[in-house]
Amino acid sequence: MAEAALEIVDASAGYAGRIVLDAIKLSARKGELTAIVGPNGHGKSTLLKAISGLVPVTSGEIRLDGSRIDRLRPDQIVERGVIQVPQGDLLFPAMTVHENLLMGAYANSSGSAERLDFVFTLLPKLKERRNQTAGTLSGGERRMCGIGRGLMAGGEVLMLDEPSLGLAPIVIEQIYEVIFNLRREGRTILLVEENAERIAEHADMIHLLDNGRIAWSGLGAELMARPEIVETYLGV
Amino acid sequence: MDVLIQIVASGLTLGAMYAVATIGLSLVYGSLNMLNMAHGAILTLGGYICYAAIVHAGLHPALALLAAAAVCALVGLLIYFSAALPLLRAENFETNIFIATIGIGSVIENLMLKGFGPYPIPQPLAVGGQVVIGNVHIPLQNVFILGVAIVLMAAVAILMQRTSAGRAIRATSMNREAAQLMGVRVGRIYAQVLALSGALAAVSGIMISSIATLTPVMGGDPMLKAFIVCVVAGLGNVYGAVIAAIALGLLEAATQYVLGVRWSFATLLLLVILVLIWRPYGLFGKQQVVRL
Repeated sequence: MAEAALEIVDASAGYAGRIVLDAIKLSARKGELTAIVGPNGHGKSTLLKAISGLVPVTSGEIRLDGSRIDRLRPDQIVERGVIQVPQGDLLFPAMTVHENLLMGAYANSSGSAERLDFVFTLLPKLKERRNQTAGTLSGGERRMCGIGRGLMAGGEVLMLDEPSLGLAPIVIEQIYEVIFNLRREGRTILLVEENAERIAEHADMIHLLDNGRIAWSGLGAELMARPEIVETYLGV
Repeated sequence: MDVLIQIVASGLTLGAMYAVATIGLSLVYGSLNMLNMAHGAILTLGGYICYAAIVHAGLHPALALLAAAAVCALVGLLIYFSAALPLLRAENFETNIFIATIGIGSVIENLMLKGFGPYPIPQPLAVGGQVVIGNVHIPLQNVFILGVAIVLMAAVAILMQRTSAGRAIRATSMNREAAQLMGVRVGRIYAQVLALSGALAAVSGIMISSIATLTPVMGGDPMLKAFIVCVVAGLGNVYGAVIAAIALGLLEAATQYVLGVRWSFATLLLLVILVLIWRPYGLFGKQQVVRL
């Protein structure tokens, strides 16, 4: 079993005194795809924000390669290699695709030329659109640009928050092909996804987040073999 | 033809001064959503620091200009750490910082009043001579102001478009959370923007006082004009602000010639009202085109 890159140990977090995550315990192992599934509004995005330092962790610990990162600023967490592709992309709309990708390498510019080549090879559409402002891209292209920007950081852990949200089925397939390719290349990926069926086959480990708590953890195939969980929590 | 040359020369000088005064104001608003009401006082302080550096410290005018820019950059940093940073942590930042900077501006103005007195003082940083185009005599001071403004605007454009720091400033102004997720330390960006804005205000104050005089309240008029330029261009749009500043400078010069000086400010205000009716988000502050 691969060693853990990212460990979340009994971490609680929330907004303005309201606890959203309650004693979460999970880990993302090196070179594996770890998925967090669960219904909307139950803390999946908050978990990624807490890992990125955007939401304060009130108790417990978050560790990267054994070192605590839960007291660090967001920029320090990025510097240590935890990169998040947020929900809805959050691209810089008035910047070109190329500038957005360069912003991805802001905290780690060494080797950015090679990473840019890699991103353009992986996502050739972005090369075609490199001089187009990000605000004028289609939904799928924006999502690709967000993933490309995340890859430009060259981090150790790539966190993706619902990359398929609001996209057409054919575009979702393309996006997931890219993500699964990254997994095959040995990237450590922490993926938030509402649709468990979509990632069950490829995820090394799935955690079900319900009401701010981990309700179930196991392999994708195991989850799909538990129809009562799937039906109750995921509505599939 | 001579009249046209005169209007263009005067208009470009006015526009250049407005542009430099506006860039800092617009940068700060674009990045922090902060309307810095102390901008006019900082601008005046720059003029006085330059005056004191030349007359009292005997510095070379170029060094005096740099000293004024450095002091005002420091004042920008002080405003960040003393007012913006604590208020950013609380609610209603935009309203609170608006009121706080009115107070800070008032303190700076009164310190200048105490230190330099209420009477007008000529700015020693001035270039003598004139150039003649046709029958029109244009003071070299105006050409100098235009040159300094062009150099400053080009420097700001290069900073914003070609450097990693500039991209980080633009990114922060577009989406603070996304910038943080890219590893941008937004607090540092805010401090840098306020320092840069202070330095630009200082240069603007020196230029304005070089064709008028130094008084503790001289920053009020340029601050108001800079605000008008910002609103016409679209708050936070730096490039639009430069174009709007030049256009308003030319309009003001033309109005002064055709209708008389007393109508120039009224014309500017009328223009602002018309622009706000036609395009509430400003001439260049167009809504983001985002495909859904």
